Amino acid sequence: MSLPRYLVRRLLLGVVQILLVVVVVFALTEALPGDAAVTIAGDNPDPATIALLREQLGLDRPAWERLAEWVLAALHGDFGRSLTGPMEVADIIGASLGPTLLLAGLTLAVVVPLSLVLGVVAANREGGRADRLITTATLGFYSVPEFAMGLLLVTVFAVQLRWFPPTAVGGGDLLSRPAVLVLPVVVLLLRPICSLSRLVRAGMVDALRSGFVQQARRVGLPPLRVQLAHALPNAVVPAVQQLARTTDWLIGGVVVVEAIFVIPGLGTALVDAVSSRDLPVVQGLAVVLATVTVVVNLAADVAAHVLAPAAEVSR
Amino acid sequence: MNVVEVDELEVAVGGRRLLGGISFALPAGSVTALVGESGSGKTTAGLALLGEHPPGAEVTGRVVVDGHPVTADSSAPRGRIGYVPQHPSTALNPARRVGSVLREIARHHTTAGSRGERKALARNRIDEALRQARLSERPDLLHRYPHQLSGGQQQRVVLAQALLGRPRVVVADEPTTGQDAVTRAQLVAELRALAAEGIAVLLLTHDLDVVRGLADRLLVLRAGRVLESGPAREVLSAPRHEHTRMLVESQPDSRTPAESEVDTEVRPLLAVRELTAGHRSGGRAVETLHPASFEIRPGERVAVVGRSGGGKTTLARCLAGLHPRRGGEVLLRDEPLAPRLRRRDRAQLAEVQYVFQDARASFDEHVPVLDQVARTAERLRGAGRAQAREQAEHRLERVGLDRASTARRPAALSGGELQRAALVRALLARPGLLICDEITSGLDAVTQAEILALLRELPAETGCALLFIAHDLGVVADLAERVLIVADGHLVEQGATAQVLRAPRHPATAELVEAAANQVAPA
Amino acid sequence: MKRFLIPGALVAVPVLLAAFGPLFATGGTGKDVAFSSGPGHPFGTDFVGRDVWTQVLLGGGSVVFVAVAATACTYLVAVPLGLVAGMTRHRLVDEALLRPLDVLLAIPSMLLLLLLAAAAPSSRWVLIAVVTVINLPDVVRISRAGALSSAASPAVEAMRLQGESPARIGIGYVARRMLRTLAADLGTRFTGAIYLVASASFLGVGVAPQAADWAAMIDRNRTGLFLQPWAVVLPALLIVALSVGVNLTFDRLLRKRKSEVPT
Repeated sequence: MSLPRYLVRRLLLGVVQILLVVVVVFALTEALPGDAAVTIAGDNPDPATIALLREQLGLDRPAWERLAEWVLAALHGDFGRSLTGPMEVADIIGASLGPTLLLAGLTLAVVVPLSLVLGVVAANREGGRADRLITTATLGFYSVPEFAMGLLLVTVFAVQLRWFPPTAVGGGDLLSRPAVLVLPVVVLLLRPICSLSRLVRAGMVDALRSGFVQQARRVGLPPLRVQLAHALPNAVVPAVQQLARTTDWLIGGVVVVEAIFVIPGLGTALVDAVSSRDLPVVQGLAVVLATVTVVVNLAADVAAHVLAPAAEVSR
Repeated sequence: MNVVEVDELEVAVGGRRLLGGISFALPAGSVTALVGESGSGKTTAGLALLGEHPPGAEVTGRVVVDGHPVTADSSAPRGRIGYVPQHPSTALNPARRVGSVLREIARHHTTAGSRGERKALARNRIDEALRQARLSERPDLLHRYPHQLSGGQQQRVVLAQALLGRPRVVVADEPTTGQDAVTRAQLVAELRALAAEGIAVLLLTHDLDVVRGLADRLLVLRAGRVLESGPAREVLSAPRHEHTRMLVESQPDSRTPAESEVDTEVRPLLAVRELTAGHRSGGRAVETLHPASFEIRPGERVAVVGRSGGGKTTLARCLAGLHPRRGGEVLLRDEPLAPRLRRRDRAQLAEVQYVFQDARASFDEHVPVLDQVARTAERLRGAGRAQAREQAEHRLERVGLDRASTARRPAALSGGELQRAALVRALLARPGLLICDEITSGLDAVTQAEILALLRELPAETGCALLFIAHDLGVVADLAERVLIVADGHLVEQGATAQVLRAPRHPATAELVEAAANQVAPA
Repeated sequence: MKRFLIPGALVAVPVLLAAFGPLFATGGTGKDVAFSSGPGHPFGTDFVGRDVWTQVLLGGGSVVFVAVAATACTYLVAVPLGLVAGMTRHRLVDEALLRPLDVLLAIPSMLLLLLLAAAAPSSRWVLIAVVTVINLPDVVRISRAGALSSAASPAVEAMRLQGESPARIGIGYVARRMLRTLAADLGTRFTGAIYLVASASFLGVGVAPQAADWAAMIDRNRTGLFLQPWAVVLPALLIVALSVGVNLTFDRLLRKRKSEVPT
């Protein structure tokens, strides 16, 4: 299938996916015991008060009605108001977007080149000490929970050695205190780097053994060119496809990291909204996260197609 | 003038000798063929000219290419020697456009002069290489990726890559394996043209038809030693060594087709009327086989021939019940034969059996071969377990597979042995029709001859009819009484082999016959 | 054997503590000064003054065994689904099984985890169910792919030509080959389950407020990180050791099996 047609089809599919996420999230949040009215009522769980609050918040209307209303409003860019506070959902999301984007962006910016380097080095020194070290490390630390590693790192580097601050608490813009970002980014990149560098390594090992690399060497092309222009484009395809998965991990990691380092980002907003049953905020965040996932998935598939046109485009 | 001189070249790895002291020379403008079965050392010798050796190899002897000695540390100067490996598709980078790689290599070979001069020089080299590789009429091919080219085109691109360096020598490793007759003829013409331009060509092959049509000189290799050498025509017509004689005689010759021995008055075993087949691709129905009608009589040997991808396999799989989407009617002994295997009763299943091209892939790698073969008798002929095993053992021994081998798993047997086991597995059902899909491709000439001998005796021994797919007209002439020609999904011609091959009526048939004839004719 | 030494130890320590810890937890849950270190408390006290070592002895089960149970459930459900989806001749069945799972994949797993776990009372079974659901799409895909590739192979076609029964083909050949692929994935699934279970507990889902649990300990005790790091470091080390150990052990096991296959 041609690229434009494929793109259009995937975009449509993506919209459907986002819609589905909205519906599922709505259903799940509805299923949560208690609701925003209960949270607001807080220490005064008087049934009359709660009923009144419900009416005020419009929570007594049927579910599908509220959902339809929300979707229609969302299409106009109006995500509604938080149920537990005075702010607009869009504003809440806007305020928490910055720190999270910063963390995620920095992590990706470090993870991608680092994985390439580690994978290429390990593949070229296949079987040697460097390779064994890289392979064992990336294997061992695969899927290690970030909170555990994170707090161990904080204990060593922040508490004992005092090289970095243990949390982001202290006011001011994150960018103005870059030392605060070091540990969170290191923790966030642990999971992706293990997976991506292993994939790059495997791809490079295969490519370096392949007939076409042998032929390129035979013809006399310089070794660096062979590595970068002949072997690498083939080697990175599985890793590129894995980048899509990385979004899912980053979202999970961000929630944990923001909790540990007290960073007011999307993760913190999500945890707070879920525990206070603030439905509009949860919905809004779900849409944002689902959209990011869909977009990154699409970008990764397109990149994979550009790099390796022979591989199957459909899934 | 000798472009390459090899003197007492010995290559050994871990005590095992791959090449034992061989010597030969390649004169400019000539084609020399190194002939031998797999494992005889041809590729080792060919790669030695490039300075490439298996890891950990001990090498002695002298190799000189274009005046430069070639050792492990120093290979011949850039571009002097070109190499076309055995499977061209593996030599092309799937992520790069074909033209882009050619330009890169051409730039690498042109180092003198200003930027503009180098670009022009590179351009020239590419044009020249494309012309020599017979690709200049299709400049659009350069924008494509390798998977978008046909097998023949891929091979020519790899050849062009090798020619960019203006080599004095080109080594072609098994260039014709797995190609149909027309492609082979084109390759032969290309290599002949290269020789005509003064390039020394070293041809590594086990295909004697190509050697006959192309080579000036011939060396026969076996287990790393040269058994015989000399002018090609002489060696082939009057082989001195026993092994050479065996090689020559194993090669089926398409000039002497078999005559039909079947009584045409008998009711047909299989009657096929308007058979069509297709599949769904991207939501649309695509027809791969257009209405075909033919008959097979009991005990007849029929070949299905055509270029690769023309529909032969689809036809065979339809009859075997492995291709579900089909139209038309197939009658087996006047009873309708269901398109799907599941709908066929035991008797019908047993009547029509199929042997796959890749024998190894058709076996379960974790179960001993004997058990898998015997299963046919258990399931289709109602034999008890012990009885089935006995039958299987007996028949396997008759084809040369003893009890010790067959008690092991498929990994322990060679390709040829597995193919024989697969034949027995199918024959245990006592079928009326045995369908074989290119079962000798990928096997060396001697093994091929053995299997063909088995097939030839089949109808006489068991009364079983044979429908086999082949792209080698030599095999067809040797074995088939009737032949069906399939081109682009159409059954274009059918008839007695002798007649069709001597006087083809359809252009596709004529093309195939001519290609085969060209190879056989002396250079 | 030597290669298994370090990975084995890394796995064994947390697992043994999780399994047998409660037998040795005689320290009781008496409350002392929070985040202190004194006699009778080799690793100090936690945020409510309980002995850290006792909490460690008691807190392994909810991480380790929940992860094991979740992984087992995932396979129990996913493998038959994948087998059916891969071997069926009807595309509709295949689609009907896969599409809902695709929807599941579109939802970020952390979001799903938070919502699902918050929707039900804090109980281990809920956590097991949630983790199973999150892992389901991947394992179904893998087993389906394995079933598909096996079902289309010449070996299966040859068996059908022999009149072999579909059951024997399905279970004897296809499922067996599938298991090989799945076994290679098992280590990853297990560490993934540990990750999800531990992270969920850390965020406070699926765990009762005062229950002993390594991951929850880490969350509750991090306020006292500067006073008594052991309350955080000890359970964290155990969780990391478990993950790393499982990864390395499975890798060693798989490589050993691969080298045993006759060539």
